[in-house]
Amino acid sequence: MMTEDFEPVTDTVEEQAPVEACTKCTACNTVCPVARNTEIFRGPKLLGPESERFRIPQEPSVVAGLDLCSGCKLCEVTCPSQVSIQTYIRRAQNKGARERGRTLRDFLLGHTRLLGTFGSLTAPLANLGNRNPLLRWFMERFVGIHRKRPLPRYQFLTFERWHRRHPRPVRARRKVAYFYGCWVNYNERRLGEMVVAILERNGIEVVVPRQQCCGIPAVVNSNTDLARKYGVQNVRLLAPLAGEMDIVASSTSCGLMLKHDYSHLLDIPGAEPLGARTYDICEYLWMLHEAKELDLDFQPVPMRVLYHAPCHLKSHGIGYPAMRLLRLVPGVKVEEVDEGCCGISGTFGVKVEKYDLSMKIGSRLFAAVKAAGSDAVLADCETCRMQVEHGAGASSAHPVEILARAYGYR
Amino acid sequence: MPDLSTGVVVIGGGSTGAGVLRDLAMRGIDAVLVEKGDLASGTTGRSHGLLHSGGRYCVNDLQAAIECVEEGRILRKIARTTIEDTGGYFVSVTDEDREWEPRFVEGCRQAGITCERISVEEARRREPALSRHVRTAFWLPEDGHLDPFFLVLANTESARRRGARVMTYTEVVGFSRAGDRVTGVRLRDVMSGAETAIACQAVINATGAWSGLVARLLGVEVRVVPVKGVMVVLSHRLAHAAINRCHKPGDGDIVVPALSVAILGTTSAKVPHPEVLPIEWDEVRRMIEEGALMLDGVTTARAMRAYAGVRPLYDLGAEAEGREMSRNFAVIDHEVRDGVKGLTSIVGGKVTTYRLMAERVVDLVARRLGVGNPCTTADVPISDHDDSLDQLRHRPAQLGVPKPHSGEHPLEPLLCECEMVRPRDAAPWFADPAVRTLEDVRRRTRAGMGPCQAAICSYRLAARLVTDRGLDGSQATRAMADFLETRWRGVRHVFWGSQLRQAQVGTGLQMELFNLDRQLAIDGDRPETREPRLPSRRPVPAEARG
Repeated sequence: MMTEDFEPVTDTVEEQAPVEACTKCTACNTVCPVARNTEIFRGPKLLGPESERFRIPQEPSVVAGLDLCSGCKLCEVTCPSQVSIQTYIRRAQNKGARERGRTLRDFLLGHTRLLGTFGSLTAPLANLGNRNPLLRWFMERFVGIHRKRPLPRYQFLTFERWHRRHPRPVRARRKVAYFYGCWVNYNERRLGEMVVAILERNGIEVVVPRQQCCGIPAVVNSNTDLARKYGVQNVRLLAPLAGEMDIVASSTSCGLMLKHDYSHLLDIPGAEPLGARTYDICEYLWMLHEAKELDLDFQPVPMRVLYHAPCHLKSHGIGYPAMRLLRLVPGVKVEEVDEGCCGISGTFGVKVEKYDLSMKIGSRLFAAVKAAGSDAVLADCETCRMQVEHGAGASSAHPVEILARAYGYR
Repeated sequence: MPDLSTGVVVIGGGSTGAGVLRDLAMRGIDAVLVEKGDLASGTTGRSHGLLHSGGRYCVNDLQAAIECVEEGRILRKIARTTIEDTGGYFVSVTDEDREWEPRFVEGCRQAGITCERISVEEARRREPALSRHVRTAFWLPEDGHLDPFFLVLANTESARRRGARVMTYTEVVGFSRAGDRVTGVRLRDVMSGAETAIACQAVINATGAWSGLVARLLGVEVRVVPVKGVMVVLSHRLAHAAINRCHKPGDGDIVVPALSVAILGTTSAKVPHPEVLPIEWDEVRRMIEEGALMLDGVTTARAMRAYAGVRPLYDLGAEAEGREMSRNFAVIDHEVRDGVKGLTSIVGGKVTTYRLMAERVVDLVARRLGVGNPCTTADVPISDHDDSLDQLRHRPAQLGVPKPHSGEHPLEPLLCECEMVRPRDAAPWFADPAVRTLEDVRRRTRAGMGPCQAAICSYRLAARLVTDRGLDGSQATRAMADFLETRWRGVRHVFWGSQLRQAQVGTGLQMELFNLDRQLAIDGDRPETREPRLPSRRPVPAEARG
């Protein structure tokens, strides 16, 4: 007989379980920031594993409601059965977009490097335009970008060009490769400079390899095809380095793509070893500290700061290393505002039809931030910082800014 | 005194009975269908739902194959709403299968079955789940999925529109006779116990595997052999066409995609009684092992439940006389054979050929009644509704498109999330007096048929019994427990992996959160249950076993 003996498996909880593992417990819906704030979203359970049963590859996708998923991934973090809820949603969305075509807005929001290159080359003009009410009205009307959403400021000198002129340190104990991401490159070069300064202060040479957009903007804009293309390029560019050194990322979401989503969501061959050597910057610094290699010669920083943990950081499954690091710095008083998702979710809260929802999701956080009062709200994720500034009127910073200041970096 | 008088009483609410009822109604013969359970709760509802192209029978049973070809084409015309046009593959995986191939091709040719040999690469491109064992593949576009329940419902509804009556949960307890003629039936409502009588000119026994039991009430013998078949339901369609083994029909050689699930079938074992259908672990395992030869993912997919159906195989050898000629089903004219006037039995057959069976038996009965109207069931579509099965398959598409821009229009909450059943899908059935239990609601809506097997929807459905039917809390709790029990009977055979974890979630919800078993005891419903226990040991009422 050629049948193979079937023995039932009783332990099915794997790192990434198949769609069958969903036990309909509904834990995902209870943590979903979108489902908690609107009656028009059916929630991750229904759009992920439940709908997956009805999805037939040979037939057109049903995408109704999928775009309301902001991609925060809290559902996957919460799922007691390790169901890849996001994978089902994103793949279905991508298939639908392939069949029906993509909108100009989704195209633009997915092509961060294109926007960044254009924005930084025309930096003063682009920034002026982004604040011009008339232009914003046009953008809302014809592109679908909400006029009230402050857009990131572009800078003419990109991080890439800055780093090319940056002198290499003479002596280094280790090397790391820095995945700076589009944000640091086009919008917040200073953050990249600080990451480099902190690492160099700790005797680490920072290698800045050529890199492509991590792909997360494409993933959440119905284009996992494009994200996969980017991912394949990044794996090709970075995987050889991963044999020799660790890779750090200062953006939570970029880091998550490299660590997890290249191999799990996008199925990119060779992505696992790259993911295994990728660290969030704060996670990496905390590891240095645990290895007793972190320079603790901090100047006091007399600041009262609030810490908001980005949703994608929760997906890393590393706790809040930023909080632990900040407690090492004398003078810093850090408190967590545990009020859930800020609502922006990358490009989600930028869209005209989702702006109000995004502000509603963030309202609990905004209220708590306003009530607590602070010198700054810290968050590892750039769009969380944008949202907190916009919604709560607070100033914001990446946690490494405090460390940089403690090291005397100005 | 009879409570009702009619032309023909049809006993049995499966596909045959329903087809007979519609045929009678279309010929203008007044008729009543009586069924001791719900419609399609016996053999029909427990079939694997394959609409046979005939490929399965074309070597060993050419006549049956030809009937399947003809009837399949007719059903595609008249019962479009109950068919998924999936097409099917016949695949070879062993050397013996390869030897079967020439006979199979020849059989298809003789029966007139459309059959195209395609390369394994092409087959795998179309059906990526085909296993690495597959060596050759034939494409039979006329295989399909026939939803047996919706087929029966469409037939009875069509008959009802033409004046026929349907009585479910009504058991035949006896017959009235005048000399050698049957003049009526005596009935009992299985829930209330109320007895009624119907006077009639003729009785058609369309009870399939139960035919012998019904005929015995008149002292007549009908030798049907109840043959059990075990099926395993996987939680999603692994393939989108029906997958058959290209070999001599045997155990576990069909995988049917049925709406949101895949059904692995089936076994073949004689049983002493059509309601004694034990499911053994070896049978479940066998289905999975055999299915895995044809399709990848069978062993890792979630088995949701197992169920057993009973085939009404007719013992042809002993009863060659008194039947019209047909290889796979038989019309037994008891007037000729046993001298009992007014009784006709229709036995054997399969769901795919139900219409032809009905046509043959009604031809005979109509002739006896002097009605000359010809059969028109092959030409008139059963239902003029939309493509209801297609709707079921595309349920996510009907859940409403949220429009963030137009303000907050809350979406309709769902009753059953696994099968995406909205309150409006179930509401008509709560208003229908023929729907007596939550199981009946399930058959009509698919609520409770998804992976959680009613763990979540059972309490929502029970709540509808209170709001829509005015039941009190303890009655609704009882109904919920009964519903869960019928689900449990299928689930308990597949307790491993995800379904085991699922059962724990369900048990936690029902036993711990709802305190269901204690609540039943408190309600005085089951004084014997003072100790906590799982909901499976209560004797199963015959009508639920159906």
